[in-house]
Amino acid sequence: MTLPRFDVLVPETVEQACSLLAEHGGGARVLAGGTDLLVDLKRPIVQERLIEAGGGDPGRFTTLGDGEPGAIDPWGSGDPPPDVLISLHKLAGLKRIEVLDDGRLRVGALATAREIQRVPEIRDRWTALAEGADSLGSPLVRARGTIGGNICNARPAADITVPAICLGAQLELQSPDGSRTLPGEQFILAPGVTVIEPAEILTAVTFPALSARTGSAYYKLGQRKALEISVVGVAVYVELAGDDTVQAACVTLGAVGPTPLAARSAAEVLAGGKPTGELLARAARAAAADATPIDDHRGTAEYRRLMVEMLTRRTLELAVERAGGRS
Amino acid sequence: MKRIISLAVNGVEHELAVEPRRTLLELLREDLSLTGTKKGCGIGDCGGCTVLLDGVPAFSCLTLAVQAEGCSVETVEGLAGNGRLSSLQRAFVEDGAIQCGFCTPGMLMTATELLRANPHPDEREIRLAISGNLCRCTGYQKIVEAIRHAAEADHE
Repeated sequence: MTLPRFDVLVPETVEQACSLLAEHGGGARVLAGGTDLLVDLKRPIVQERLIEAGGGDPGRFTTLGDGEPGAIDPWGSGDPPPDVLISLHKLAGLKRIEVLDDGRLRVGALATAREIQRVPEIRDRWTALAEGADSLGSPLVRARGTIGGNICNARPAADITVPAICLGAQLELQSPDGSRTLPGEQFILAPGVTVIEPAEILTAVTFPALSARTGSAYYKLGQRKALEISVVGVAVYVELAGDDTVQAACVTLGAVGPTPLAARSAAEVLAGGKPTGELLARAARAAAADATPIDDHRGTAEYRRLMVEMLTRRTLELAVERAGGRS
Repeated sequence: MKRIISLAVNGVEHELAVEPRRTLLELLREDLSLTGTKKGCGIGDCGGCTVLLDGVPAFSCLTLAVQAEGCSVETVEGLAGNGRLSSLQRAFVEDGAIQCGFCTPGMLMTATELLRANPHPDEREIRLAISGNLCRCTGYQKIVEAIRHAAEADHE
């Protein structure tokens, strides 16, 4: 066995899931796709066996999820493993993806990256979200990993979370006391830390309706194309007005701060301007100034900042083109 | 405390008592003696343990057995029918896509699902599909060729 001892509870409804979570408090964790949680639970045991086998150098054993900027030290955190996992796999309703009558997109928290990738309306209109889902892990990670898990894990490099925040994600949270909706950008406080209450479950992510002249893009920079954690991730959203000026814009950066980061000065540069090459370049420089990267084994802060500028310019050009404008 | 779960593996129904922490991989290899599915890294990086769970590729090392309750599981043992290899398996043998063989069951399950969804993948689609299944022997070229040949053979 490579997992520690725990019990698994399988609620049939969201209400049940919330009350189980309330009942078990801090000793319980919510299990969605398992591509992060089960790895975290296995890691100490695999490490112990590596040491037994004479190959134990904690630094050598890295997996998806650690080593990113601000990652919590998996060896020294001292958190006891959970006694109880509350597995959501029976909550089929939370897998649903739909475009609502009012034009908003609603993605159930248990929708996998693979399911998100394959929805034509998402590819066509909420493009940055589809491109984020395309970039996550590997095909196998995408087949299990969920949008809810990606957001609740709160990693600064999370490939679905960064474009979701950029596209104005609203998070629907449910608890035994009722439900609330929270803007995605207010959800994550620090690496692995969110404002979610102990008995709360993220049930769905909704995205605002898009006007005809919007475009978005996500670019993940890594050292290889699969099974990679971003060195830098850039998500952009652009909405053009009738006179081809920028009506609204958003730039969200991944892996260059402790949380996904809103490049507010870049958005300010863009607002109201004609999306010329010169304006996009100026916005890209502003985004680089907004970034707060660190040096780590994936890249230096200096390299990351340069890449934020380059990739912001390129993704903005793409988003403007997708919005039907020319830069 | 053990749970009783039922699931279908390669079309055969099983009812088993499993510990909550037991992975689907452990259930397949240790309880059902289906050792075709390999344990590689154990943490979702290598793809050696890939099975199809209700038709979708899944790491069996990162799937709890209790999560597969009521599901249909396909493993490499289910690919050959009546002692006859599937066209994909034949292509792997004929093209030399197998060297040490450790990644082969996972590769076959991933490629089986690819060809079901997309019977005529181009090379880029094949490479993308197997990008979560690591092979340390072949350099992937012969695996890509075998998948392409299997797709062609199925439509001759």
